[in-house]
Amino acid sequence: MKPNNPFFSQRGASTLQLSLGVVGIVALLALPQFVTSPYLLHMMILFFLSTLTGQSWNIIGGYTGQYSVGHAAYFGTGAYTTMILLTTRGIAPWYGMWVGIAASIVLALIIGSICFRLRGPYFVLASIAVAEIVRVTALNLTSITKGAEGILVTDIPAFKIGETIITDFSTKVPYYYIALVLALTIIFVTWLVQHSKLGYFFQAIREDQDAAHSLGINLTIWKNSALVISAAFTSLAGSFYAIFVKFIDPSTVLPLDLSVQIVLISIIGGIGTIWGPVIGAMLLVPLSEALRSNVIAQGLINSGLVSEESGVGIFLKEHLAQAHVLIYGILVVVVILFMPEGILGYIRKMTAKKKGGEA
Amino acid sequence: MAILEIKHVSKFFGGLAANSDVSFEMTEGMIMGLIGPNGAGKTTLFNCITGYYPPSKGEVIFDGRKMNGLQPDAVCKLGMARTWQKVRPLAKMTVVDNVMVGALCRTNSLKVAREMAIEQVKVVRLEHRANFLAGGLPIGERKKLEVARVLATQPKLLLLDEVMGGLNQAESEEIIQLILDIKKLGVTQMVIEHDMKAIMRISDRIVVLNSGEKLAEGEPEEVVKNPEVVAAYLGSE
Repeated sequence: MKPNNPFFSQRGASTLQLSLGVVGIVALLALPQFVTSPYLLHMMILFFLSTLTGQSWNIIGGYTGQYSVGHAAYFGTGAYTTMILLTTRGIAPWYGMWVGIAASIVLALIIGSICFRLRGPYFVLASIAVAEIVRVTALNLTSITKGAEGILVTDIPAFKIGETIITDFSTKVPYYYIALVLALTIIFVTWLVQHSKLGYFFQAIREDQDAAHSLGINLTIWKNSALVISAAFTSLAGSFYAIFVKFIDPSTVLPLDLSVQIVLISIIGGIGTIWGPVIGAMLLVPLSEALRSNVIAQGLINSGLVSEESGVGIFLKEHLAQAHVLIYGILVVVVILFMPEGILGYIRKMTAKKKGGEA
Repeated sequence: MAILEIKHVSKFFGGLAANSDVSFEMTEGMIMGLIGPNGAGKTTLFNCITGYYPPSKGEVIFDGRKMNGLQPDAVCKLGMARTWQKVRPLAKMTVVDNVMVGALCRTNSLKVAREMAIEQVKVVRLEHRANFLAGGLPIGERKKLEVARVLATQPKLLLLDEVMGGLNQAESEEIIQLILDIKKLGVTQMVIEHDMKAIMRISDRIVVLNSGEKLAEGEPEEVVKNPEVVAAYLGSE
């Protein structure tokens, strides 16, 4: 898949790229030893989590071309399963998450059997509808999910191997490492998919379902396989989120907003590529955080561009934080208009033009 | 022995009969030309044979096996492959990767699939385009790619739907040579084509469809002399 990936040649990674990757991973592993700011660690954790969800979606949406806008269903299933098992049965999250994955796979197969009969925009609508059904169910099944009240945990049981306590989750550091490992795992899984028969089948289905079908590809089996892989990792992200934030309710882990955000990570970064969702997460996490926390308005005022007393300054201070969804939306429109293949696709096009390359 | 038997196949869309009671046989290694005016039901017949539509009535028997109700992917695995009138390149994949998708129907190994694909790319003479994205190819090369891709699925029977449509004289000539080369490999072929000169040259037998029905069948020379066929093409007096 040479032209799809400038980072790896046909035979895999070159020595330079491989060593860059190793240096990057070592740096990320060492980061918590040098950075003590919980806020920065928090941001990094969100970045890893976004990479995980974006990349999970990328497998079904980017590689297989099935634009599911209902991935919150799997995220929520993972989150709820883990939390319910923890609060009602005292089952630790690292066991609960596997149950979450199993539940999400079952849900994925049900959703797949309904939605994969449909194509294009009809599939998108069906995926939204099914995810909304899951959300409304969670909202109303108060005996199990506590409905809108949500589920809160105060203590995460310490992670032990034998009698040795590995971590008691009292700081952000253990979360940082878990999120990092999850993000690296999904990147590796995507790489494996791309460099296997699955990658060819998924992409063939994306490019032309009828052609793929006529070339011996069983659409039902392979579309569902892609969805199952995607759902399993999205569920894992949900489980992680639940124990990281320690509180979930249908409006945080199951809303349509979340499904859309998951899609955007991939679309903005560049769908159907390994690094697209990573770039998307790298951009969107700080951006939405900055918008939410009013850093931008404060920055404009501090830089002297806008006076704090002026009408504009007051307006920005008051309203910019609330406008983060709007700005998010504008960004998406800009990317779709000017970089239909995402940031990574845009960079590639530019470098290919310079080289005058063939693909 | 007949490799393909079409027995009384009919296909209705609502009240419209796109094919009605079409029957013919193909023997192994032959090239069957399928001709007829626009709307005669040629592509519908292809779709019925390859599993895209279940025939409303009748049977398709391939290699001694009843095909009714089989999905296109199963049909392909059994050794029957088709190309599309409107080409369907996997646009964002390279030429070799396109052909590899076909080859992966027969092997699980990417390495083997790549070797098989390169072989077929050479057969259709697209080596110089091997690493180009399929979406960027001109129409003549897309048609060749389409043939290479189905050849990689190692078909016993190949159904070509207007592979010369929209091509210039030189390109058509290349495709004719390609079809004759494929025949030498022992692959049976059914070819839909509008270019009468081309179809006369390559076909061992010709079936003529008109308004969904079989109008005539026979050697190319007898078919073109058939007054009913002439009437269907040129209008009767």
